[in-house]
Amino acid sequence: MTAISRFAPALALGIVVAQAAVAEDIRVGVIAPFSGPFAQYGTQYQQAIEAYQAQHGTSAGGNEIEFIYRDVGGVDPDLARSLAQELLIRDEVDYLAGFTFTPNALAVAPLIEQSQTPTVIFNAATSAINRDSEFYLRTSYTLWQVSAPMAEWAYEQGVRSVVTTVTDYGPGIDAENAFVETFEALGGEVLDSIRMPLSTTDFTPYLQSVLEQSPDGLFVFLPGGPPTYTFTRTYNENGLREDGIMFLGTAETEESNLQALGDPALGLMTAYHYSEAHDSEANAEFLATLRELHPDAIANWASVGAYDGVHLIYEMVEAAGSDGPAAVQHALGLEWESPRGPVTMDPESRTVIQNVYIREVIRNPDTGLLENVEQGIIATVGDLGWDR
Amino acid sequence: MRDHLVPIVMGLVAVGLFFAFPYDLAFLTRVLVTIVLVLSVDLVLGYAGIPTLGQAAMFGTGAYAAGLFAIHVWGDPLAGLVVGAVAGAAIALVSGLVLMRTRGLTVIMLTIAVAAILHEIANRARDLTGGADGLRGIRMQPVLGLWEFDFIGRTGYWYALVVVIVVYVGLSILTRSSFGLGLRGIHDSPERMRAIGAPVYWRLVTAYTIGGGIAGIAGALNAQITQLVSLEGFAFSLSAEALIMLILGGTGRLVGAVIGVALFMTVHHFAAANDPFNWLFVIGAMVLVVVFFLPQGIISLPGILLRHLRGGRDADRA
Repeated sequence: MTAISRFAPALALGIVVAQAAVAEDIRVGVIAPFSGPFAQYGTQYQQAIEAYQAQHGTSAGGNEIEFIYRDVGGVDPDLARSLAQELLIRDEVDYLAGFTFTPNALAVAPLIEQSQTPTVIFNAATSAINRDSEFYLRTSYTLWQVSAPMAEWAYEQGVRSVVTTVTDYGPGIDAENAFVETFEALGGEVLDSIRMPLSTTDFTPYLQSVLEQSPDGLFVFLPGGPPTYTFTRTYNENGLREDGIMFLGTAETEESNLQALGDPALGLMTAYHYSEAHDSEANAEFLATLRELHPDAIANWASVGAYDGVHLIYEMVEAAGSDGPAAVQHALGLEWESPRGPVTMDPESRTVIQNVYIREVIRNPDTGLLENVEQGIIATVGDLGWDR
Repeated sequence: MRDHLVPIVMGLVAVGLFFAFPYDLAFLTRVLVTIVLVLSVDLVLGYAGIPTLGQAAMFGTGAYAAGLFAIHVWGDPLAGLVVGAVAGAAIALVSGLVLMRTRGLTVIMLTIAVAAILHEIANRARDLTGGADGLRGIRMQPVLGLWEFDFIGRTGYWYALVVVIVVYVGLSILTRSSFGLGLRGIHDSPERMRAIGAPVYWRLVTAYTIGGGIAGIAGALNAQITQLVSLEGFAFSLSAEALIMLILGGTGRLVGAVIGVALFMTVHHFAAANDPFNWLFVIGAMVLVVVFFLPQGIISLPGILLRHLRGGRDADRA
């Protein structure tokens, strides 16, 4: 064992030296799904990162920034952890980024804590993550952040009774809690809270039961993709729309499968932080660069999460190079204009404070495409789930 | 002597890898843990001929048992391994009592079902298991009170390597014993074994239980080293990949399990690191080539080459 014990300090020293040296080359390890059913996330991240680099170059404050991509496939905390370990030890990355799923993000907490590595979350939206380490910074959103304003808005619109339907897993339960708690605090009544298994493909029985209870509104949380399509179709076909049961959603009409939803999506109301149709200069520039690089690219919340995440990393690199704690310190309270609107990095929860918009799906008369048209800002909030 | 040569060489290679790739210990440790799991599949499928696609049931159970034990009772790694083994064996015994009464496709279906049920139980019992967020907060004590688990994973690697060696040696003894020979007999012809008076059912239940215990050890090892247990421990893809690795290496030989895991995971690792977008093609191509040209797995390669060299008339070694 002597060889090992002699080797240990040398190795540890190597890491320290690499981190303390005056930084020229900064490496950012991006852990995200690049293969399998969730590969879309990886693609969205990568395209947004490239767009940011096309606009702002590949260096910040004289430090060259390089992105290293690692494929985690899907929900796989073991692999996420081992990839992070490898990136930190062998590739000597100074920042970690990506993280689509909450379990994967949670898995690296002890590592980033020990190595003092700022870790920018592009997507994972459970409030609890940031409590596990001071080094997490989140540029996406949390489910509380969008679900609670939705409840308030619905109540203002005169909705008094609601049935909630969520997918039965972590984020779905978070969304349900946020909506129910806020709505009941206002004096609204939640008639029923339905949790649907992740593998549900036929929503008829659930929506039939909603119809029978005839609430004023129907709160929905579904992971993006095929379930959204089936759900909205079933909502229309089973007469919930005719019955005047208002659809109250969040990410269900996100851009990457909005066109596929077709006419059944028209008129759906959602509360969310980013729409591709957001009318601002920053968004127009982002979209223009994105389309220049990838003509078929679609910008959705994952893109904007990554785009802002890269912005945050550039800011931190410029201010602190590879000094992790100083970088995080610099990031706290930082304000900038994002394609989604103005954002601030909340010093307490380390999740961005941002506008939540109420949007309606409308067909754009010029392009003939469906869009999430923002009807107004319903809240400017940080992570409302931070204290729960 | 020749029988012992290959395992000894593999052990030396494992020791050498530690010094050759000090920055890849996280990956190498994953390989070691997977070897333990695939060895358990080899015992169940390769030796006893029980078709299983649900070894993750015991892996996950062992992982959760060891994780919960470390959090709530005692953080000693070796005690945790024992708990993991017992938990894995218990699940295998209970399910095996039913499963071993069936044959063929039914067994496959039921093994998948057992893993799926446990997956859902772990998902539902959020208060206990952390549900989809995973079980966290596992803090292990030093191994034997001497070696602390470190950030770079040196202790984890040696610890896992010793466990692999112990399991390997244990299985070599077991598979050479009369019990092991009995299993081979059942594998080839259960009817004949029954005819000569062997208790086929109980032999299979025993083999399945031992396999479950070993899978439980693999799960416990994983939980202790990564300090994390997730629902993926029960995932179908884990069982399926374990089977693919075993077939790649060659079933019914312990060496096959080791080689299959090492090859699959190394190719996977490099392909995924070099091209995180299209690496699955490489894996697919490798599996196809091996299954087409070496249906007996990689371990049949030396035998085939030898036969070709000797003009194809010499004794069949594969």
